[in-house]
Amino acid sequence: MIEVKNLTKIFLQKNGEELFAVNDLSFIVQKGEIVVLLGVNGAGKTTCMRMLSTVLKPNSGTATVEGFDILKQSQQVRANLGYLSGDTGLYSRLTARETITYFGRLYDVDEPKIKSRILEMADLLDMHNFLDKKIDLLSTGMKQKVSIARSIVHDPPVMIFDEPTAGLDILTAKNIVNFIHNCKENGKCVLFSTHIMREAERIADRIVMIHEGKILAEGSWDDLRTATQLHDLDDIFIHFVNNSSREVNDESA
Amino acid sequence: MNLHKIMIIYRKEMLDLLRDRRTVITSFVLPVILYPLLMIGFSSMLSRQEHVLEKQEMTIYINNQVMDESSLLIEKELEKLETFQIMEPINLFEKANYLPLVEDNSIQALIEIRDSLSTNGYLVYITTVSYNRSDDKSTLAYEKITNALKNVEFDLVGERLQKIKINREILNAVDIKEENVAPPEKMVGFALGKFLPYLLIILTISGASVIASDLVAGEKERGTLETILVSAARRNELVVGKYLTIITISLLTVLLNLFSMYISFTYILSQAGEVATKLQLPLGNFALILVLMLPLITLFSAILLSISTYSRNIKEAQSYQMPLIFGSIMLSMVSFLPGFELNFGFALIPIVNFSLLIRDIMLSNYNIQYLFLIIGYTILLDIIVIAISIKLFNSESVLFRTAEEKSLKFWGKGKKDIFSTQFVMLVFFILLLGLFYIGGSWQSKDIMSGLIKSEIFIILLPVIFILRISKTNIKSTLRLNKTNPLNFLLALVAAIPALIVVAVLGQLINLVFPISESYVEGMKNLLTASDGGFWYSILVIGVLAGICEETLFRGYIINGFKKLGFWKSIIISGVLFGIFHLDPFRLIPASLLGMWMGYLLLQTNSIFVPMFAHFINNSLTIVITTYGDKIPVLKTLATADIIPYWYIFPAGLIVYLVYLVVEKINPKIEINEL
Repeated sequence: MIEVKNLTKIFLQKNGEELFAVNDLSFIVQKGEIVVLLGVNGAGKTTCMRMLSTVLKPNSGTATVEGFDILKQSQQVRANLGYLSGDTGLYSRLTARETITYFGRLYDVDEPKIKSRILEMADLLDMHNFLDKKIDLLSTGMKQKVSIARSIVHDPPVMIFDEPTAGLDILTAKNIVNFIHNCKENGKCVLFSTHIMREAERIADRIVMIHEGKILAEGSWDDLRTATQLHDLDDIFIHFVNNSSREVNDESA
Repeated sequence: MNLHKIMIIYRKEMLDLLRDRRTVITSFVLPVILYPLLMIGFSSMLSRQEHVLEKQEMTIYINNQVMDESSLLIEKELEKLETFQIMEPINLFEKANYLPLVEDNSIQALIEIRDSLSTNGYLVYITTVSYNRSDDKSTLAYEKITNALKNVEFDLVGERLQKIKINREILNAVDIKEENVAPPEKMVGFALGKFLPYLLIILTISGASVIASDLVAGEKERGTLETILVSAARRNELVVGKYLTIITISLLTVLLNLFSMYISFTYILSQAGEVATKLQLPLGNFALILVLMLPLITLFSAILLSISTYSRNIKEAQSYQMPLIFGSIMLSMVSFLPGFELNFGFALIPIVNFSLLIRDIMLSNYNIQYLFLIIGYTILLDIIVIAISIKLFNSESVLFRTAEEKSLKFWGKGKKDIFSTQFVMLVFFILLLGLFYIGGSWQSKDIMSGLIKSEIFIILLPVIFILRISKTNIKSTLRLNKTNPLNFLLALVAAIPALIVVAVLGQLINLVFPISESYVEGMKNLLTASDGGFWYSILVIGVLAGICEETLFRGYIINGFKKLGFWKSIIISGVLFGIFHLDPFRLIPASLLGMWMGYLLLQTNSIFVPMFAHFINNSLTIVITTYGDKIPVLKTLATADIIPYWYIFPAGLIVYLVYLVVEKINPKIEINEL
């Protein structure tokens, strides 16, 4: 389970001004649930996820992953978390199998378990025919599958995927989405980010819409449709964005 | 820290690197192939070329103005030389017309024979050989000619002695026989000891730098760093795993290079035949040096790892490595300099210590205490640098620095903040270079007028120009403010004690880094021997330097650091003031004085106080060197070789009291108002 409490991250910009990349964010992701962080580029999705993965430290607020505090118990958080950030790379001179094995060892998974995990994930992600090829020789989609496999080789209870399907073809994207569904069915707690509305609709149990670091709306699609009386996903999102800017204007007026 | 995790990381990094063709080629394949090819190729080329040169035809011109029997003998001897062609003589010889022929290598030498009578009435054949030293062929001709001339001389002297019936043996009054007691391996040690440290240090750093930039900065560039940061490995495990990788590759590079060099070297020696059996490489010393290389390699690896961690990408890491590499190469060359002996002070300067120690080991003449001191000291530095690396690895601002080009933006921006740290440092370095290149040449022509020009044109006017052009309020920036007259009195009271404190500290530094006698003489000359005499010196070194240098350092430069706070701005501007003196021996004393001036400025909020203190300090130095031995108080300072160390306590106390009073009588300024 992920519990985010008043998480705030401020970056100092070059002109000396403070940028609230994540502004007082709070939400919960339960076990066996997929929550989608939905927002445009620069909304604060990646920053939020990076804080959960303990590579960035929040300026205020905190969060827990499987009950471990991201600030005080970062080591345990990382051990219970599979984190895939959108633009991460792979070691081009290692093979897919070596890559996954390396991360498995870093996560203290024992050798037989690593071997069985690789086979298991290769089945689900259709990776058998390139397991022993060097990463250099793989296509973008194959690389992304390796990335996913390496990030969850230790079978963590909590998984965070930051735009895992960005730039992939439909078949690969569908394969990955199915895989994530499978994870959920096995009782994992999944936080998933995207700026593609259709994908969010297909995968999400609940949606957290964020914009400029703040939560715009939260709930299942049905909740959001009922609340806005709109059907089209894009329209719903734009509706909330407009609403929030109106509020800001009202406040300043 | 978990050793098992470290080894996982280490093994993966090694596997990754060894699969990289570039690494394998530059670190392992090149040395194994390159040295034998270079060394053997070079030596065979060299002997071949010498042979070719030997066989080449030489043309010389002989101008014999004597034309007697003996001078013709000289000519004949030269004609006998193999491969020599004599140019046909012409009637009207003008030497000036023939010299250009030698210069442009049309002919290899020009020989002019004239005669002269010695005081005892003997005829002397003055034989001038004009040749071109910058040309190998001409130089060889010269050598052959002088040998031939010596033969002729031998014959002529023999003839003369025979005429007066004296045995030739009489000339052998002193027979010099050379006997070198150095054993062969010491001779090799002596030759190798000079260049081996340099070579080893370059090998170490070049081997480590490529790998290091790839290991962290490269991971940032490829986007893999985040993946290991979120893994269950701890930051210190990652750092140590990568650190061990750099050490391993660097060590392998050094070993392979040395091995390949050793083999090539012995091959060449064996080719040379007889020499090889006599020359033996001091292998025991080599082994000791290899052991010693470990701490050096670990230090370089640690520094390079820190640089790599700090950098955003490989290119940036490589540009940060450049100063380190150049600095190391320069420091390592200390082994070439005669007269540099390893002492306690040098043992504390990284690289210099290894360079001198390796040289001493090659001569089998090293101090075991220094050996342990250097190893221990380097390990201490290792730990500090690795701690810095781990700290950097924990800093999100370092790991996730966005790729903005600071320096480029700085240049491109239209409006510049003349008090930004960057701009102030830029001005400082430009003026420092100006002082070194332009001021240095002015001062080498005439020290006093050179000083005046440097102070005005390099130190004072640029500041005024910058303030003018940026339309800054000069009066408030330079703090041309009125102040409590008592401040001047206090600066005066503190002057002699401050001088004593600095002098005693300088003495302590001397213990560690001794100053040469000639340097002290030179300084004394600067302070006493000015053409215009005492008052002229006071005017230039006291008044002018006081005004100009204070305007630059306390008027302008200190402002670039005020956002760092009261003390940091004083310390940094003080150190820059010390560096500005372009003299390692005066770095610390001048920095301390600079800090004292900085304190006086910020506390009194008036530049006139540090200007006055600066003037008093410089003038006092002149007074002491000129009249010191006649004034009771200053006598010790001027004449004693060593100022008693306890002087520092009363002197320090007075300076401290003055510091307290200055703090008391001046209104406290908020840091923002600085």
